[in-house]
Amino acid sequence: MNLEFGRVTLFVLFMLIPIVGIALGVRAPALRSRLPLLVAFFAGTIPILAMYIPKNFLSGPQGMSSRLDQWLIIVAGFALLLGIVNVIQNGMRKVSRRESGWPFSVVLLTGLFVTGALGIYGAVSHQGIGFLPDGRSTPFKWIQDSMFLPLQATIFSLLAFFMASAAFRAFRARNLEATILLIAGGLVMAGRVPLLDLLAAPFPALHASAAAGTQTLGKLTEWIMDTPNGAAQSGIIIGAALGAASMAIRVILGIERGYLGLGGGE
Amino acid sequence: MPTLMDRILGLDRRWIFLLVLIAVVLPTLFPIGLPTTTTDSTRRAFDYIESLKPGDVVWLSFDYGPSSAPENDPMAEGLMRQCFVKHVRVIVSALYPLGGLALANNSLARVVAEFPNLKYGEDYVNLGYKDGAAAVMRQLGESIGGAFPTDVNGKPIAEIPMMQGVHDLHQVKLVFTAATGIIGEWWITQVHAQIGTPVIIGPTAVSAPKYFAYLNAGQLVGMLGGMKGAAEYEKLLQVSHPELATLYRSTPHFTGAKGMDAQAVAHALIILFIVVGNFAYIQHRAAARRRS
Repeated sequence: MNLEFGRVTLFVLFMLIPIVGIALGVRAPALRSRLPLLVAFFAGTIPILAMYIPKNFLSGPQGMSSRLDQWLIIVAGFALLLGIVNVIQNGMRKVSRRESGWPFSVVLLTGLFVTGALGIYGAVSHQGIGFLPDGRSTPFKWIQDSMFLPLQATIFSLLAFFMASAAFRAFRARNLEATILLIAGGLVMAGRVPLLDLLAAPFPALHASAAAGTQTLGKLTEWIMDTPNGAAQSGIIIGAALGAASMAIRVILGIERGYLGLGGGE
Repeated sequence: MPTLMDRILGLDRRWIFLLVLIAVVLPTLFPIGLPTTTTDSTRRAFDYIESLKPGDVVWLSFDYGPSSAPENDPMAEGLMRQCFVKHVRVIVSALYPLGGLALANNSLARVVAEFPNLKYGEDYVNLGYKDGAAAVMRQLGESIGGAFPTDVNGKPIAEIPMMQGVHDLHQVKLVFTAATGIIGEWWITQVHAQIGTPVIIGPTAVSAPKYFAYLNAGQLVGMLGGMKGAAEYEKLLQVSHPELATLYRSTPHFTGAKGMDAQAVAHALIILFIVVGNFAYIQHRAAARRRS
């Protein structure tokens, strides 16, 4: 058995301590709520320490940080499972109580079970979820290509209609700020497509001028996107990163406990 | 009695929907073939890939779903075509849960059919989908096998010839992510910033503005912004590789250039809506002031 330091430490931190804590928590419920804080503290500090301490047990390929990354992938899989359980619970409740829109839940659950079952069948039978050896699609792939992909694309396509309607009704030059936004938006929209070429298409004499105009408009669009937009985006990203870092510190130190689902500050 | 301006302002939105439908459907059915101008960010992306040598490895990640496939598919397929023409090897993965793998499989099948000499496992490999995108990226910096122990068919990657000598992202010359949402950003923050692998992103047009900050900071090699970026990239491909020009002219599949016609007409219509809507609004406001 490989008893390297990093592996043993991870075992103690994330296996022994939680088990001992749960066992003790049977008598002291307060301990149960504090235990995840300990786990979060170590899970948060190990990758940070690994950035600065170049020791093999910590930041090496088989070090604690790398192993935590692998665990995170596994935990993410369980999060997906949790989502599925949540969808099933909510859907079942809606159907059993005949709540508003319950037939949609029936469709949702049917889709979930049928697609899931075909996916599991593909894995168990080793035929996969892609193509069969003779080139035909597996049932899973047929559902995916014939139903899932077009349905999701259709929902998103509706945005074009609503955006056009919103542009007509809401995109108004009500004040100076809105007017600046309107002009910048209009220029970018015009510069991102060969608008002048489109307008000049029926008039061959104007083709050369339209091409030159498109070049100029394109350069202006590039400048708007590169300079004012790029500067503003940098500010937003830096601000959001600082906010995320401070939130991470609060979680690691146990100040922010909302993720425990206990409500309030505790 | 309502004036013309009042009637314009109160226009039933179903007329707008109808006009948008016509603006999208007609150019799609009857392409106009409008020209495309190229931007600096696309040229930088193209030039970098063009500078790769035969045998180099590129990581292509499908980080989008069917909702943005018309924008992202042409980018990913264009990249694969450029790599395969240049004999650059491609590792395909999908980190987007809602259909990323399905789109990867379909795009790969379409492009591979155009290059009959390609061999799976030697020229390209499909590692499939993995959940937990940010953690997967971090793990790829340590060991590809740690994140993807097998390919999409369940074959251990240690048995795949192409993966010999490609242990982690340090041996990968470029990551290209065709992305919607935040996964594209993670390739920059988790991979480029921490591992140093160059990244090119192909985001949807709606999320492209955010990435100009990364471009300006030198954290992105280049960017193909939305369908326009894809059309620009296709144009550059056709200029540099005549065999691809023939392919793009004859392909029955959707391309960025084909989509740009519909997008140009739709943009023109939306600009017209904005102008008419504002004209009517200003007139209406002036009339209201006169009345008061």
